[in-house]
Amino acid sequence: MYNFNYHCPSSLQEAESLYAKSEDPMFLAGGHTLLPTMKQRLNAPTDLIDLAGLTELAGISREGDVLQIGAYTRHADVAASELVQAAIPALAKLARGIGDTQVRNRGTIGGSVANNDPAADYPAALLGLGATVVTTKRAVPADEFFVDMFETVLEEGEIITAVTFPVKGDAEYIKFANPASRYATVGVFINRHNDGVRVAITGAASSVFRCSEYEAALSSSFAESALNGITLRTDNFNEDLHASVDYRAHLCAVIAKRVIASMV
Amino acid sequence: MNPTGSVTVMTGSHSHGQGHETTFAQLVASQLGISIDDVEVIHGDTGKMDFGMGTYGSRSLSVGGSALMKAADKIVAKGKKIAGHLMDAKSEDIDFDDGEFKVRESNLSKTFQEIAFAAYVPHDYPLEELEPGLTEKAFYDPANFTYPAGTHICEVEIDPDTGVTSVVKFTAVDDFGTIINPMIVEGQVHGGIAQGIGQAMLEHGIYDETGQLQTGSFMDYCMPRADDLPNFDVGMTTTVCTHNPVGAKGCGEAGAIGSPPAVINAITNALGVREIDMPATPLNVWQTLQNATHEDARGE
Repeated sequence: MYNFNYHCPSSLQEAESLYAKSEDPMFLAGGHTLLPTMKQRLNAPTDLIDLAGLTELAGISREGDVLQIGAYTRHADVAASELVQAAIPALAKLARGIGDTQVRNRGTIGGSVANNDPAADYPAALLGLGATVVTTKRAVPADEFFVDMFETVLEEGEIITAVTFPVKGDAEYIKFANPASRYATVGVFINRHNDGVRVAITGAASSVFRCSEYEAALSSSFAESALNGITLRTDNFNEDLHASVDYRAHLCAVIAKRVIASMV
Repeated sequence: MNPTGSVTVMTGSHSHGQGHETTFAQLVASQLGISIDDVEVIHGDTGKMDFGMGTYGSRSLSVGGSALMKAADKIVAKGKKIAGHLMDAKSEDIDFDDGEFKVRESNLSKTFQEIAFAAYVPHDYPLEELEPGLTEKAFYDPANFTYPAGTHICEVEIDPDTGVTSVVKFTAVDDFGTIINPMIVEGQVHGGIAQGIGQAMLEHGIYDETGQLQTGSFMDYCMPRADDLPNFDVGMTTTVCTHNPVGAKGCGEAGAIGSPPAVINAITNALGVREIDMPATPLNVWQTLQNATHEDARGE
């Protein structure tokens, strides 16, 4: 790890102004991706701006059919939240399956979403549920937020303040975990509601994506058999030591069917 | 032996989690008839040890333990001479039993503590015939290997859709000859089976074409974790080894030797294939099933 300046601002304005003044700054949330990469010198910010002091960024609330989760809310708190469990049980379950206890006690939803790891769990929930990412500058629909591997529409100095989820229909998430890291090799999030079906898949490709082929098939018939014969486009699918492209494409169907089976 | 009758054991066999401190102390305490609390085992410090060959080949008890027994025999033999002097008897008429030196066919006896004290504070001691002190050293080189044997039986369940393999039941019965501490031996077998299942199903060191290690962290190198493993059923039979004084055979590696073939045989049996390379990861198992299915379709 290289030397860096550490800041712990107590307001969003202070955080933004520190960012503007620093040479090569980065925001720090739970740090469970950023700190290991800094130790490996893959990241070397001159200034680390810790968002831990911004207490207004943490917390969960519900107004009508909108569930709001503050950006600095930790995975363990989402998993344990009775509000989340009552509104969107699949979201609480997803949070309960992220990493391990230590990660869940440190990692935050805002950090996970901003990082957009192609194998992260939360992006699947945001995209699957049609959530909205609220930042210091705007509100971005999840459909527009995730761009590509570790890339989002966030601009320099823009801070996620909350994620809002519409509470509608029912949903389920199942992850096929990498045996070593237990990140998602393939994770499928399905949300079924009156307007149709949303299917988001994480882990399989360079970024989380909505699976329009599955959505179309499931909108006309919400059954496992609806996915038979569908071939996914795999141009941007990931290949690594643990899963080939063919295996990942196969797992998308297998896991999606298991999600469907648990919902019908 | 220390003057108070406690014992310091110096061994060239190193313990790094196998529990030698307990097993060796039990062995010596039992042989000398003293409390295990009075035995201290020192190992792993080249500044204190004359010589050591390390710990390998499941040899610590059968080889290192045998050397310890021989050293303890020497202690008892010298103790008999001192006891004979103190009780005005011939050393060959002294019996050593449960920590006491007794003159045969009499009610005379001396405790180990008394003999040790006499050896180091030799006011009444056969100084012309016997050097004071009660410290002995022994080397042991085995005349033969030991031959532990066992049977490991593994039951797996394979999800053909994903290739995920679960070890649902694992039974290991081994014969390690004389067992000094059953709990430690069972722990060694447990650890060995976990390591063997890791080798058979999870762990893989992979290098790319430039020689860069790709499995350089536990995010990619898959170590076995508790939820990868079932409860193990472990059993023992005892056929005493005939050529070392402890009667022990090696146990340290048995779990890791027996489990990989048991796991892989179970997997190939379930898949109906002749072979699968280790580790049988979900990808590997799924791919093997795909290939087998295609071969069936081609009538091969």
